[in-house]
Amino acid sequence: MVQINFANKEIQCKIVYYGPGMSGKTTNLEVVHKKAPVNAKGDLTSIATEGDRTLFFDFMPLDLGNIAGIKTKFQLYTVPGQVYYNSTRKLVLQGVDGIVFVADSQADKIEENLEAIENLRTNLKEYGRDIESIPIVFQWNKRDLPTALTVEELNRRLNPLGAPVFEAVASTGEGVFPTLKALASLVLESINRDKRDSGMGQPAASRAVPRAAAAPVAPAAPRRVGAPQPPAAPAATPSAPPVAAPPRAPARPAARATVPVGRPAAPPPPVHAPVAAETATAARPRTMAPPPMKAEPAGRPAANKAVGRVQIKERTDTARLTVTILIAAVILGAVGFLILKYL
Amino acid sequence: MAKPRQLTDSELRESRLVFYKEDVQAIDGTLREFLARSKSKAAMLVDKDGHLITQEGSTEKTDTDTISALVAGCFAATREMARILGEEEFTALFHQGRRDNLQLTLVGQRTILAVLFDDTTTIGMVRLYSAEAARKLTSLFRKISSRPAGSGGTDEISDGFQEAAADTLSNVFGSD
Repeated sequence: MVQINFANKEIQCKIVYYGPGMSGKTTNLEVVHKKAPVNAKGDLTSIATEGDRTLFFDFMPLDLGNIAGIKTKFQLYTVPGQVYYNSTRKLVLQGVDGIVFVADSQADKIEENLEAIENLRTNLKEYGRDIESIPIVFQWNKRDLPTALTVEELNRRLNPLGAPVFEAVASTGEGVFPTLKALASLVLESINRDKRDSGMGQPAASRAVPRAAAAPVAPAAPRRVGAPQPPAAPAATPSAPPVAAPPRAPARPAARATVPVGRPAAPPPPVHAPVAAETATAARPRTMAPPPMKAEPAGRPAANKAVGRVQIKERTDTARLTVTILIAAVILGAVGFLILKYL
Repeated sequence: MAKPRQLTDSELRESRLVFYKEDVQAIDGTLREFLARSKSKAAMLVDKDGHLITQEGSTEKTDTDTISALVAGCFAATREMARILGEEEFTALFHQGRRDNLQLTLVGQRTILAVLFDDTTTIGMVRLYSAEAARKLTSLFRKISSRPAGSGGTDEISDGFQEAAADTLSNVFGSD
């Protein structure tokens, strides 16, 4: 949850990169760490396995500086992608203010992406949160791979929410900043809305707004801080074609996406294409390595609950047995004493 | 798409941590008193989401943001362990180092007191006084949460926040 500290004039927000294993969540964070202005970023901390898979989370503080007299800080987290680590993945979601869902664009990863979205929905629900009302943006990553699905197909299968979507090649840094910028904007917008709702200087208003109303965000054609300004790009309105396609990206029609049937009120999500490639290389070449952990069914926490209950029951049974033995011993002792006394 | 859930006013108050100046002054006072009595080096109050609320003592060389995130992660993990083991919650954690030690104590339901101390004091002293500080802070938080929303006097986010935020985001992440 957003923490607002008026003593320090400070706002802290929590952003979580979510998605299936090997989709590029950690790579996204590494790119942000590499390219963010020096005075804005803190250290990137990673709790990973020896095989370099995220075990608990990666963390990086990002200080945006003073916004209208309030120091604004983002805490960026990634979750482990492997289903095996779902219990820790869920913990990172506690108090989340905004989510970047990093999906792997490859055709054979579509099921894993769908599973991760369902898992996100379930985990959020455990905290009483709703995927429909939380600020969320989708990133279609690995657009450079020849097996990548079209943006329209990904939108249709993975984004019935109508959330903003961005294309990316995180390993080269493309699309990483536009994605984060859009989400940061949604999160700060939600603070402004919450402020009105809570009566902090403004009349109350509804907090939860339909996704469709929050979806269109500023199109992103990023200028990298500290890098030469790229050529001026036309605004990527929903009907405009992508600004610049990443190398080897499949041909994409206009950015307007297909709206799923049954959601006539929701405008299609604007698709934001990554801009000119940069020379950044991913610190970890993760995309080709096979996942080291064997995936387990998502029902693991439920199994844990069952184990907890069994243990409590066993404990109760043991206590009952002990009391019975004690009573029997006392009776036997008394009988023995009486026998000895009267014999 | 499912209809978004409408949050009530009370849910909103519960879901967000807002600290006003006098709240933090009162918390700082409690932490200073705790440090003096327990002879610890530093104390940090962290919320369960990993955000630092306030700190007292010598933390200049410490990356308090990262420590806060890790403290919250640590506590979240032990809470899950407790649940699996059939325990309600582990309310204290102790990390022993060669030079410095870290004691974590749960304060109320949403915050954690992290205490850094060395061999100028003992774990017993720190535990005793941190339990006392936790009790004081819990009652302070109860007072804060029972206060009506928006009663923080002149403290508020200015109306120009959204516009200023857009400019800042463009500066940090590049303009459109």
